[in-house]
Order: sequence, then structure tokens, then C-alpha cells
Amino acid sequence: MSGGPAQPILEARSLTKRFGGLVSVDGLNFTLNENEILGLIGPNGAGKTTLVNMISGTLRPSEGALLLGGRRIDKIQPYRRARLGIARTFQVMKPFHGLSVLDNVAIGALFGARRGRTSRKRAREKARDLLEFTGLDHRLDARADALGGPDRKRLEFAKALAMEPKLLLLDEVMAGLTPVEIDEVVELIEKVRDRGVTILVIEHVIKAIRSLSDRILVLHHGAKIAEGDPVRVLDDPRVVEAYLGKRRK
Amino acid sequence: MLLPQILLNGVLTGGLYGLMAFGMALVWGVLKILNLAHGSLIMLGGYMVYYLFTLFGLDPFAALPIAALFMFVFGYLLQRFLINLIVRATMLSTLLIAFGIDVIITYLAQLFFSADFRTINPAYSGANFSVLGLTVPVVGLAAFIIAVILAAAIWFVLNHTPLGRAIRATAQNLTAARLYGIAPVRIYAMTFGIGAALAGVAGGLFGLTTHLTPYIGAELTAKSFVIAIIGGLTNPFNVIFGGIAVGIAEQLGSFYLGATYSDVISFGLLVLVLVLRPVRSLRATLP
Amino acid sequence: MRRLVLIILFGAALLAALPYFASDVMMQFAINALLMAVLAQSWNIIGGFTGYMSFGNSVFHGLGVYGTAIAMAQFHMGFGVGLVLGVILALLCALVIGLPVLRLRGPYFAIATLGLSAAMGALVSNLDIAGANIGLALPLIRNDFMFYELSLALLVACTLSVAWISASRFGAGLVAIREDEQAAAAMGVNATRFKVIAWMLSAFFTALAGGLYAYWISFIDPASAFDPTLNVRMVIMAVFGGPGTVLGPLVGSFALSAVYELLSNWLSTAAALFFGLIVVLCVIFTPRGLADVIVGVRQSGLNYLMRNIRDNRL
Repeated sequence: MSGGPAQPILEARSLTKRFGGLVSVDGLNFTLNENEILGLIGPNGAGKTTLVNMISGTLRPSEGALLLGGRRIDKIQPYRRARLGIARTFQVMKPFHGLSVLDNVAIGALFGARRGRTSRKRAREKARDLLEFTGLDHRLDARADALGGPDRKRLEFAKALAMEPKLLLLDEVMAGLTPVEIDEVVELIEKVRDRGVTILVIEHVIKAIRSLSDRILVLHHGAKIAEGDPVRVLDDPRVVEAYLGKRRK
Repeated sequence: MLLPQILLNGVLTGGLYGLMAFGMALVWGVLKILNLAHGSLIMLGGYMVYYLFTLFGLDPFAALPIAALFMFVFGYLLQRFLINLIVRATMLSTLLIAFGIDVIITYLAQLFFSADFRTINPAYSGANFSVLGLTVPVVGLAAFIIAVILAAAIWFVLNHTPLGRAIRATAQNLTAARLYGIAPVRIYAMTFGIGAALAGVAGGLFGLTTHLTPYIGAELTAKSFVIAIIGGLTNPFNVIFGGIAVGIAEQLGSFYLGATYSDVISFGLLVLVLVLRPVRSLRATLP
Repeated sequence: MRRLVLIILFGAALLAALPYFASDVMMQFAINALLMAVLAQSWNIIGGFTGYMSFGNSVFHGLGVYGTAIAMAQFHMGFGVGLVLGVILALLCALVIGLPVLRLRGPYFAIATLGLSAAMGALVSNLDIAGANIGLALPLIRNDFMFYELSLALLVACTLSVAWISASRFGAGLVAIREDEQAAAAMGVNATRFKVIAWMLSAFFTALAGGLYAYWISFIDPASAFDPTLNVRMVIMAVFGGPGTVLGPLVGSFALSAVYELLSNWLSTAAALFFGLIVVLCVIFTPRGLADVIVGVRQSGLNYLMRNIRDNRL
């Protein structure tokens, strides 16, 4: 990137997605700055996963533009966006069922940022390290579909990390976890940020989002209703009414 | 031959094709399996009508309901006690077992019926009449009308009877259907039985309008695929239209390119439709 | 991996000695079995590893047959040239047809390839250069020993390629595509390119087998070249032995070829009937192939067989 003020790593301009008559994301504008953690919250159906799908390439926007490091990516296929440094987890987890945990993560190492320069052996070594980092090193050889819920989430996380992403999209990785497990995940995410990664976190666990995020973006019916400092946003009456309700954590 | 005559022939044969395909589309939409043995069921129905006609002198059109009944029972039992064992397995397993069943039925047919060409030839089989300068074969027209009536009947059953609702529920959501007290095993068997019955009637009509050998199964299975894909799995009338499309395409191709190209045309159509048509609409189950 | 390669080479060396002990009839059977094994192993690349069940690989076989036959019978070229022509035709077909058709998932891909194989057979039977429905006669050469060794060499080459795939990054990508194509793409796998390359590899070996078959048989016609039953046979053999493994298709094809041969000797036409029965029984009781059966029975005894039914029934 050229000199001057740092460009945002991700920029959305009037991003819109329609499914037939239903508008899922409506003229959304926002930026994501390098190495920040942006929390994305909102009620179910607000368009959060649709937004992630558009960033990762699974869906094409109906209108608007997406820029990664100043370069338009909204027409680029998913596999190329992966190589540009975008990694994501899936809300409905998608492990490679028949493969071992280790091989699942190795795929990320083989095809992510460092593709073509890794051998299968080195990919497995890197996978081993990452699985230790995410706390799955005791189940390296288990089949991916033999894992229970929380372990599957750790696996999704490790797979995404194995790609050495610049931008990591986490879609409800804390759903269904105990408070202790949630704290572990928060710590993990912070450690990943310390490695220089920019992270977009979709979550419903407000306590975690508040402590984790540098900024929070609130979506409702596909549009942004609040953005900014976590404490301020979470106190915003519009956010309270639309999403948080009268009693908050 | 005039173009209108060709088109008429295409429409008449197409109606029958649609009927053939609907049994397969039904099974596919509800049980989510591709019945590679569908053609051999058509073949069996055809032979049943043939023997009812030649051995007992029963008029073929009167034999159709009897054949349909037998094929229904056969299909019901086949699904309930054999295919049911693997109906939730991978697609490859269902394809292979259907293939195995197809092989068995075909060779048993060859054993018992011999490989000779058979046609069902009641006294009126060559009859036709003229309308607006076009020759309309009586048997062909009757086959077309029966096909349309059955399509309407199936549509009615699916949309306006408790059984039909149960079938649609099972097709859309197995677990929910169970929760509502529907027994999927029975529904699956009934659906397969209905598919087999439809195939049986189609077979009888096929024997009246063309000919029968134990080997027609494979080609008819493939043709039913093509039509089910072109017509979609949602609506019986669309399947009839799909059949008509294929029928017309075949007749046109036969006339302009020669009869040997008719296979190429229907399969070329299949590949074209599959590639061009958005898969989402094909994944829809019955309404 | 190294151990696997050694096993393959050792097995090949053993099999290479077979012609010195075998009768003429056995040689005929052996060559057929080897060629069939090549078909099963090639199918394994696109079907077993990538998870795209092609019911149309017979097209590549037919193109190999006809490429060789046309070159040798119509243009009087050598066998090598014929093979090259067959391979080029098959690779072009896999590329041109593959790009649109590989976009289809699951059963739609299967049907499209089924349709393709039927259409191709019908098409070729209309072409005069291919001898239309009558077929073509190649220069006659009686040398079962040579054909046996060539077929064996082809099978070894094919199997070694599959072994390489299973250990390579390419193979890892194929398996990822099979397990979850969307997730694989999200992780950087260029699914389209990998799928097309896999199908082209499959076509390559299948066409070579077809070419060998053509020269060996010396007389070919559309029915035998584009034989639709080839598709199901190669699929069953690969699946029976264990799809996505290196040795599975070999085991499956040798075993099933032997079974079919034995049945033919005892029962002639009824052999097909019993083959169908075997297929049905295998699908019910051993859906994941022989390799899985051996492991499963060791773990849970005969309960393994009933477990498959319990898992898969409604």
C-alpha cells in the first residue's frame, strides 16, 4: 500500500443483497481497520451471516462494492479471496467429515496464503502447532465428525487460522459454550489479533463482544443502526430496543 | 410429412413419455433416490398387459388397471422389504442397488419371456382417423388421454387428499412428518408402489404403441431421467410438458436427421438442460 | 508411501511372471481383468478421491478405442500414433465437457455423464470414418504375452499415479472437494481446476486402456467400445474394493472379475443374474467396500453387517 494514512483493510460501499423480494442487507457502508477487532451484533435475520458470505465470496452482492486493501473483490471467486487472505468459520460447521482433525487443518495450510510453497508434511506440522494453540492437540487423529460441539468449533477456528489470513471472519464461534470456554475463546481471539490479524466477530454473547471488540457494528433488518465504541453502542437506546431488550448482561 | 403431423406425433408420444417419467419423478422427489430400475418396471407392466391380452383375451385397455394393481403391490413390497434397507445410504449405494435390481429383473424377464419382440395388437391397433388433414392414431391418442388423466389424478391426490398431504410432508421434512404421526416407512412404500403402478400403465401403453423386449428398460430409464429433469420434479403437468418437449424433439430430429440420431438428441437435451438450468429449481420437492 | 510403492512394484513383478504359467484361456481372462482394473482405478481418481461419480467414463474408453482404430485401420498408422490420438480425443472431451458438467453436483453429475455416454455411442455409430454401425477392423496381431505385459504396465502406471495423488497436495485438495466443496473453496482450493484435471487424468488412463483393448481385440464397434455396462462395472469394482484408496479398486476389480468369470463358467447367461444379486447384497451389507468390511468385522464381528442395515434403513 502507498504511503499516507493507513487504508482500511476492508471497506463496504452501499452493499446490498436481495433474495427475490427479501432484502437481506440494505445499502451497508462500513470500514474495517487493520488489526482491529470489529464486533458485529444484531438480532437473528439481521443479515450478519449474509454479510460474511458476501465478504468471503460465497454470495455475490446484488448491489454495491467490497474493497480489500483498496481493491474491489466483490466479483472474485471464493477460492481467490481465500488466497488474498480472507478466512472464515461457518456458523453451521463444515468440517471435512472423513478426514482426521489434523488433515482438516492441514488443508488450510496447504491452500491458504502460503499455497504452493508448502509440502503436505510441513502443512501437517503447522496443523499440529495450530491444534495445540487451539487446544485440540489431544484429538489429532480423530475423525472430524467424531468431535463434539465445542471441539468442532475449535476445529473450525484452527482451520481458518491455518490459512494465515489477514482478515478473519468468525461467525458465532461461541454459541453453546460454557462461560469458561467462552473466556478461553476470547483469549484465543486476542492472541490471534496480536499476531497482526484483523478480525470481524459475529456473536450473541454480549459480555464477550464488549470486552473483545475495539468497535461494534449493529445490524438490524440488513441496515446499520449503530457503530462505534462498544460501551456507547451497547447503551444506545435504538440498539437496546431492537436487540438487547430491557434486561442486559 | 407435414410439420404439423410431426408435431402431433411428438405431442402424442410425449404424453406417454411424461407418464413414464412421472413415476420416477415421484419416487425421486419423495424418497430422494434415483430408481435406475424404473425402466424395468415399465417393461414388466408392458409384459403383464401383453400376457393378459394374449392368454386371456382381455382388452389391453381393460388390462391396464389390473397391471397397475399388480405393479403397485410389487413396488410396495420391493421398497418395503428390500430398497428400504438402504434408502438412507449414500447416493452411490442407492444407484448401485437399483442397478442390481434392474439387472435381476431384466434377466428374469429374458428367461421367462424370451428376447423376442412383442407387440400388443388388438383389432383396433392400426386404426386412425383424420382431423384437419392430420392422421391421428386411435391408440396413440388414447394413450395420450390416459396419460393426462393420470397426471391430473396424481395432482389431485397429492394436493387434495390426506394421503397426498402425508406424502408431501414426508418429502419435505421426514422428522416433522414423524412428529405428526405419519409413518414414513409406509409412505415410502406407498409412493414407490404408486410409481411402479404408473410405470406399469406406461408399459402397457408402450407395448400398444411400440414394442416390448426385456431390454427396453435401460433406455426408458434414461429417457425418464431426461424428462424428469426437463420437466422438473414439482408438478405432474410440467412433467407431461417435459415429455412432450422430448417427444417433439425426437420426432423433429428423426425427420430431419434420421432416426438413429434420436438418442443423441434426447441426451443432448438432457446435458444442455442440466447445465443451463439453475439447479435450485430442480432441488424442489413436491409442492 | 514408500511402502505402498514397494508393494505395488512387488505385486507387479509377480504378476509379470504369470504368462509363463497360464493357459490361453487364463491369459484372455487376465488381460480383460487388467484392463478392467485400469478402468476402475482411473474412475477412482474422479469418483473415489474427488467424489464426483461419473457414469460416463465409458466415453473415454470408447474414444481411446476409436482413436486407435481410426488411426490404424483408416490411416494405416502405427499403434503408438493410434494411442496418442485416442488419448488426445479423450483429454479434449474431458476438458470441454468437464467444464460445464463438473459444475453439477451429486446425482445431476451422475445423470449428465450417463446421458453423455449414451449420446456419444449413438453419435459415433453415425460416423462413416468410424465405420458407422459396422465397426472397424484393425491389423490382426496375435501376441497375448505382449498385450498382457502392456496392460500390466498400464495398470502399474495408473496405480502409481493414484498413489502419488493420495500423498500429494493435489490429492488433499480433491479429498477436500469430496468432503465439502464449499468449505474447500473457502479455504483456497480452486475446485473447478482440480476437478477438471482429475477428470482429465481419469480420461487419460481410460483411453489408453481402450486403445490397448482395440488393438488386442482387432475388431471394434460402437456397442463394445462405448459399452454402457462398463460404467457400472468400473464403479462397482472401485466401490466394492474401497473408493478413495490406492489398492481398493485393484482388489475390487480382481475379485469381481474372478467372481464374474466363475459364474459365467458355471451358469452362462444366468451369471448376470447372480452378479446382480451379488451387487444388491454387497450394497446392503458392505456399502463402504471390502476394506471397510475387513476392519469392521475385526472390530465388531458379524454385527458389522447388521449395523450397516440399521444405519441406512428408514
